[in-house]
Amino acid sequence: MSFTYFLKRAAFAALALAALMTSAFFLVRLTGDPVNLYLPIDASDAARETMRLRLGLDRSLLAQFFDWAWDILSLDFGMSLWHNRPAMDVVLEALPNTLALGAIALALAFTAAIVMGSIAAVNAGGWIDRGVNVLSQAAASVPDFWLGLMGVLLFAVTFRILPTSGFGGPIYWVLPVACLFARPFGTLVQIVRGSMIEALNATFVRTARAKGARDGRVTFVHALRNALLPAVTVSGDLAAQFAGGGGVVEVVFGFPGIGKLLIDGILKRDFAIVQASIFAVAVVIFVINILVDMLYASIDPRVRVE
Amino acid sequence: MKKITAIPALSMGLLMSLAASVAIPARAAPDRLTVVVTDEPKSLDPCDTDLSGNSRILHNNITEALVNLSPKDGSVVPSLATSWRQVDSLTWEFKLREGVTFHDGKAFDANAVIAALKRGQDPALACEVGLATLKGLKLNAEAVNPTTLLIKTDVVEPILPNKMSALDIGSPATPGDTKTRTPAGTGPYKLVAWTPGQSVGLVAYEGYWGDKPAIRNATIIWRAESAVRAAMVDTGEAQIAYEIAPQDGTTGQDHAFPNAETSLLRIDAQIAPLNDKRVREALNLAIDRDGLIGTIFHKDAQKAMQVVPPSVFGFNPDIPVWTYDPEKAKSLLASAKADGVPVGKEIVIYGRIGIYPNSSESLEAIQAMLADAGFNARLEMLETSPWLKRLLKPWSKDRQPSILQTQIDNAEGDAVFTLPNRFTTDGNQSTITDAGLDKLIADGSKATGDERKRLFQQAFKYIAVDTVNIAPLFHMVTIARVAKDVNYTPDVQAGNEIKLKSISYR
Repeated sequence: MSFTYFLKRAAFAALALAALMTSAFFLVRLTGDPVNLYLPIDASDAARETMRLRLGLDRSLLAQFFDWAWDILSLDFGMSLWHNRPAMDVVLEALPNTLALGAIALALAFTAAIVMGSIAAVNAGGWIDRGVNVLSQAAASVPDFWLGLMGVLLFAVTFRILPTSGFGGPIYWVLPVACLFARPFGTLVQIVRGSMIEALNATFVRTARAKGARDGRVTFVHALRNALLPAVTVSGDLAAQFAGGGGVVEVVFGFPGIGKLLIDGILKRDFAIVQASIFAVAVVIFVINILVDMLYASIDPRVRVE
Repeated sequence: MKKITAIPALSMGLLMSLAASVAIPARAAPDRLTVVVTDEPKSLDPCDTDLSGNSRILHNNITEALVNLSPKDGSVVPSLATSWRQVDSLTWEFKLREGVTFHDGKAFDANAVIAALKRGQDPALACEVGLATLKGLKLNAEAVNPTTLLIKTDVVEPILPNKMSALDIGSPATPGDTKTRTPAGTGPYKLVAWTPGQSVGLVAYEGYWGDKPAIRNATIIWRAESAVRAAMVDTGEAQIAYEIAPQDGTTGQDHAFPNAETSLLRIDAQIAPLNDKRVREALNLAIDRDGLIGTIFHKDAQKAMQVVPPSVFGFNPDIPVWTYDPEKAKSLLASAKADGVPVGKEIVIYGRIGIYPNSSESLEAIQAMLADAGFNARLEMLETSPWLKRLLKPWSKDRQPSILQTQIDNAEGDAVFTLPNRFTTDGNQSTITDAGLDKLIADGSKATGDERKRLFQQAFKYIAVDTVNIAPLFHMVTIARVAKDVNYTPDVQAGNEIKLKSISYR
């Protein structure tokens, strides 16, 4: 990947980011005024007006936008109303947790899906294939909210081997990772299985067999390398989704990630938190896209990233 | 076959060995306690205890006020002030406790109270206490000596001591120009750390003026999901969990307690057909309150006849509870229709998602009850922000007829904390414009003793029986799950106060 390519991608990403942040600015303000949410119900009209003035909400939307855009250019995302701290500080505390959670879940799901999908493809039509199919369909369709609560009841309350929720050492990550693992695992197994069956029937595989290559080598070197590309593409999309937070899983397990922060930010009309979160997540997604492109090039020599 | 059955056995074995190797506390140490609540506090500034999420952690744990309100009858009892008296109609004198120190070593005295009062009412800081309980009060405090404080008011304020129970006193070193995240108070616990997004840790303060608490270390954590909060007590990760949903709170460890909230439907009596009293009466008669108790609402909820619970000064015990009489409701609607009232017009029921457990289900049931009685009602569930727009003025003149789901909290124990904003012409949530009621409430607010009680009781009766602009539902209860080995019975103030110092292990 050339430096020019990177610059070009960065320039496009910056444009997309500017458009995204502009939309975020206007959309989040369409959801309503935060003043009523932040002041006690019994607060006087004068107190409400004072707060509106303090937040600059009395000014025209365009004037607010230009001020905000200027601040964003200097990477000043403002103060979080709810946390009473700089919004980006709050976001940067939560983002690494979410990224680690997503990365672990996705890496495990990807690895397990390759193994299971390949086994199913090699045994296509057999009972192993049918079993893997049922398992992956179930994993892809189970609601993570339900899975989370069932995990708590089974492993925390009944067996007492895992904590119900919270944040800390590796043990606290097991249930959130397991919940986030299910859906991408199910989806990727289906994709790997399909593309492996196709690859195993391709002419180059027949050629490899004809040359006397062993079964394992044919499956995991010749066929799998070709079958990986669709899985990598989907994993890139899944990674981008995970960068936006584990959503419900974070809420259920009290996991301090960006998904919960963003949901709370929207519900509490904490504009600064919403905007800073969107910015941070967008930058992460840009990096993920670059990484996926690079991975593509390394898997398929025909792909040139330029 | 044997191989297949061996798999679950192997899994179980693996789980058991994992269980043996992982240390999940089944029971906390005798001087440690973990409490799980629904949300992270918004602020730990002493001036923000008017918000219950903040107050639960701060009030009477980290910071204290001059006085407390008794959970039994709402009477004012000593805390940092040992006695108080009304010197004249506009002046109160408080005698302060001696030998009290803040967690940062500073001495508690009259000047500390003056600083807290000034801070609490500073418009630039927008403290919860200044915006709510002390709203509109002009207070001029003066230190006679370190243990005597005079507070002068610009108008007669007969319940100033009650109001002072909401002002938590922080150290004089608390910054005056910004909110603090590291409060220093005089309470039995000092803050160890507030880890954003995770927990608040407290440790017993050795220099506390009162009895030493049994619990030395307390941690407050938050989980949004009721089932998870409940499970945490079962596993020993927490010893007390609040706001357990009725469907989760069915064990012997679940304690339902009145939480000083009254649920109701506010009727917008200014818009037809709800501007006709018969229609409003019909609405009340159409609701089967007995049918809702023990099903959608907790079985211990009490049918309400007014908007404050019996513990509030001014509660009127003589107002009759609405009966369920759909036939009478139908006949009232028919009579109104005959007089040209547009009873068939669509009425919107505005609900708020999560205002209390099963809030949506309760309105779905009520909508069906209203439909049975002949109302044309449509349900609209809103999240908090749009709901507040419906709750608070200003409202559009050509708005649809509506009823609004709400609940009113009165943990302060006096009717004045409920009536003015909600039922007077100038009230920011009031749908009533009635000079007689305005006068009644204004007179009651200035009066003392029996006269105050009489006037407030009259006001509650007028609202419930004469104007009928509310459909009172229930005096609500909240469920807390408490570990079997913990000595703690939540009271009516538990929604605003954890009272860690009164908790111990059996």
